[in-house]
Amino acid sequence: MANRPQFYRRLPGTGKTIAHYVQLYQGPDHLLQVKLSGFTEEYKRFYYRDIQALVLRRTHTGKILNSILGGFAAIFGASAFIAAGSGGEFPLGFLAGICFLFLLVNLLLGPTGVCHLRTAVQTEKLVSLGRARRARKVIDRLRPLIVEAQRPLAAPAIAAVQSTPAVVQPDSLASL
Amino acid sequence: MITAQLLCPKCQTPLPAISEPGRERHECIACGVISEIETFPAFFQQAAVGQAGERILIEGEAGCFYHSDKKATVHCSGCGRFLCALCDVELNGQHLCLGCLESNQRKGQLAELETRRTVYDSAALSLALWPILIWPFTLVTAPIAAFLAVLSWFRPNSLVRGGRLRSIVALVIATAQIAGWVVLFGSLFLKQQ
Repeated sequence: MANRPQFYRRLPGTGKTIAHYVQLYQGPDHLLQVKLSGFTEEYKRFYYRDIQALVLRRTHTGKILNSILGGFAAIFGASAFIAAGSGGEFPLGFLAGICFLFLLVNLLLGPTGVCHLRTAVQTEKLVSLGRARRARKVIDRLRPLIVEAQRPLAAPAIAAVQSTPAVVQPDSLASL
Repeated sequence: MITAQLLCPKCQTPLPAISEPGRERHECIACGVISEIETFPAFFQQAAVGQAGERILIEGEAGCFYHSDKKATVHCSGCGRFLCALCDVELNGQHLCLGCLESNQRKGQLAELETRRTVYDSAALSLALWPILIWPFTLVTAPIAAFLAVLSWFRPNSLVRGGRLRSIVALVIATAQIAGWVVLFGSLFLKQQ
């Protein structure tokens, strides 16, 4: 059985759903998306030479979550304040603390976003990059690898652009 | 100048054309969403046209094993069959026919083509640890965990996690649980004697 040593470096971010985790790994010539469901790993490879664009779009999910958590923290906090002395302030204060803690974590993680990876034949949502800051960090890490892998592509494109003015139309020669 | 266009990731409205690789910010005119776009040289390349394979024009020329009327350009690194440009699949510098490619994928000999793996070491570790919470279950789960831990030595592990630590830990815990049950049953048996 092939268990060839592959050198993958884990990239920041984990996408979570009820059924699985999604993580990104930086490979020598490709980006590997691993979907862990139970005891099975599913792989998707995006070769650096094929990646055309990485698109990051900010979403309002984080703000909505902040509002909800902030609202709950305020309600529980106010209730605990009102119920002071009756013995109910402790569970209510505890709940307010939990909500506040989640709010703090959400604030520290930064704004939410959706990152898409585009190749010639697909546009894939990178589930693990759900935070804008983290997505930018990953893009910054991947950029030099992709640029390096696509160096042979960049050279002919530049050459083509540079050679364009040298083309002389036969009609223009006739007018001379 | 070569330009290319992307669609808004939210509403699929075309975004303004991009003329060179790099980072740009675009606001969608339809939904107003701002997208940060990082483009690379491949974005400005036109899709390459695949090769169909040249027809045999001179009698006696080597033909493709699968398409007898097409000129052979290479031989399969796996089975040695002659292949035309259409049948040739290049992978890691090797030229393979579709049959060899499929068989190698089935046998798991080409890690690049693997899309799924069962991680036996994680299964073994979970089965060795979690049932401890309801310990009588370990009577059944410990032998299974030990079996999976041993099995994981002979099966490919996770593609992204190296090492055998999980298997070893699972095997040690499972063995300890089995030993515990043996001691328990042994002492009960001896008491009855």
